[in-house]
Amino acid sequence: MSGIGKYFKLNMNSATKQTSGSCSCGNSSGGCGSNNQDQMSDKDFDAAVDAAIGDERTKDGFEQVFDVKMDRRTAFRKLTASLVIGAGAVSSSCSLTTGENSKEKAQIDWEEQFKGNYKLMTDEEKKGTVDRLVRSYQLRKGENIKMSSTNAVKDVLFGYAFNISKCQGYMDCVNACVKENNQDRNSEMQYIRIHEMKDGEGLKFNEADDNYYHEVPAEGHFYMGTQCFHCDNPPCVDVCPVQATWREEDGLVVIDYDWCVGCRYCMAACPYDGRRFNWSTPEVPEEEINKNQHYLGNRMRKKGVMEKCTFCVQRSRSGKDPACVEACPTGARIFGNLLDPKSTIRWVLENKKVFRLKEDLGTEPKFWYFMD
Amino acid sequence: MNTINYTYFLGCIFLIIFSSCKHNENEYHHLTDKIEAKSKKYNGVSISSEAYIGDIKTVEITEGHHTFLIPDRKSQITSYTCTDCHSKPLTELKEVSLKKAHWDIMLEHANQEVMNCATCHNGNNMDHLLTLTGKTIDFNKSYRLCAQCHSNQFEDWKGGAHGKNIGGWANPRAVMTCVNCHNPHKPKIESRWPSRFNTQKVKERE
Repeated sequence: MSGIGKYFKLNMNSATKQTSGSCSCGNSSGGCGSNNQDQMSDKDFDAAVDAAIGDERTKDGFEQVFDVKMDRRTAFRKLTASLVIGAGAVSSSCSLTTGENSKEKAQIDWEEQFKGNYKLMTDEEKKGTVDRLVRSYQLRKGENIKMSSTNAVKDVLFGYAFNISKCQGYMDCVNACVKENNQDRNSEMQYIRIHEMKDGEGLKFNEADDNYYHEVPAEGHFYMGTQCFHCDNPPCVDVCPVQATWREEDGLVVIDYDWCVGCRYCMAACPYDGRRFNWSTPEVPEEEINKNQHYLGNRMRKKGVMEKCTFCVQRSRSGKDPACVEACPTGARIFGNLLDPKSTIRWVLENKKVFRLKEDLGTEPKFWYFMD
Repeated sequence: MNTINYTYFLGCIFLIIFSSCKHNENEYHHLTDKIEAKSKKYNGVSISSEAYIGDIKTVEITEGHHTFLIPDRKSQITSYTCTDCHSKPLTELKEVSLKKAHWDIMLEHANQEVMNCATCHNGNNMDHLLTLTGKTIDFNKSYRLCAQCHSNQFEDWKGGAHGKNIGGWANPRAVMTCVNCHNPHKPKIESRWPSRFNTQKVKERE
């Protein structure tokens, strides 16, 4: 801790040695308002930190939680609080006086709370949870949704190609994606980003504009879309501490929203900015909700979980193009089965000069770019 | 007895070595290897995209190695068949003071030296189109006219790199034909405004 003081004295690019009384404005006497007369010494700083977080600096997580000194009163208070929660659940499910609906709700919530990871479920269990979620929605919102738990089909590996010469930056794909996937309208979450890049300067994502609003295509610019690339060697999957995200047999990288703990490791691990986090409860007006849903796809998410593009699993697994492909008016987006030698995606890979982003990372994205 | 034990032991070791060398995760070194290996055993999939073509009336065409569906054109042209009106030669029709037709069509395709109406339309047989060498082309196969000059786009379109897919990724493959996206008389796609703007992103980045 003794080295902490250097951060206060750090003075980069300065030829003269900084004196303790000077400040960033250059005046050695007062007057700039940020004079550090009362700068703490290292010792004082340590003492202040000790006072604030006490012995948690030396204790590990277990000790912090379980080895806590507690008087009898606090202990009783904490125990009662947890008992009340438990009793609430039990009473509403067992009581004779509460209505049938709330009993059923409690039963569903109970079963949902203790269900396993979707990845490990049998087909019956998958159907079970999907049925519960549909029923729960019906009980709560009074609306019927259709939710599927369709598994990956053998001999299918989804791949995507994006024609940079064709994309005109209309953003119809973004629009369609938001509607199809029930993305939060409040935070205006979008899986797809369209980057407007200057001609002749290469792919500079740091200088590209991904939120333009002017007539497109703008002169001297080209457009490049990014989204989840469904890597075949996905780093986001490796880092997930609870295995709430994985790669399916057909190549889709999916998330079990009910298993995700919201640590956002995957967001940090993704080199392509493909993942999004729900900082608040996603809200979609009831009449705009897409009721054709998939457990791993566009069903309603909750606060504090990750989500991302699933190549519209609810559509693609039944043979339909993803919403972005369908919406693109230029035909810049090509989607298909990589294992079918006669598919259009295979023709593109074999006949056009294709490339992928950050290929050297070995993530093996299943999303190729090409030009006419 | 001892030798039997010994061979058994050796056999076990061999089994362990050989079975452990093939990792499930890294069976293939690259994605391209995986695609190549797995597609050798490809037998087609049960999924069909037929339902998603919807109400579009299609015709099947075969060009080179590619066979696919394109939307029927003739049923989409409002005044087809053309000979309903074009019963006389054009010169005669121009003489009589009839109600003007096609006044709204302005040809903005290449320049006047390269193209005029008669480059594609046959004045003597209005129900069909005309190639540069004077061969007759059906309206449903108008892409063949475009392919006379735009051969690169034609190759890409056949393969699937140009043009818009209809419905789904599975078979049968249905794809828009040239004139479904490009107005043949004014093929350039107009610029327009993007369909959305993210106001939250602006706030987040302030």
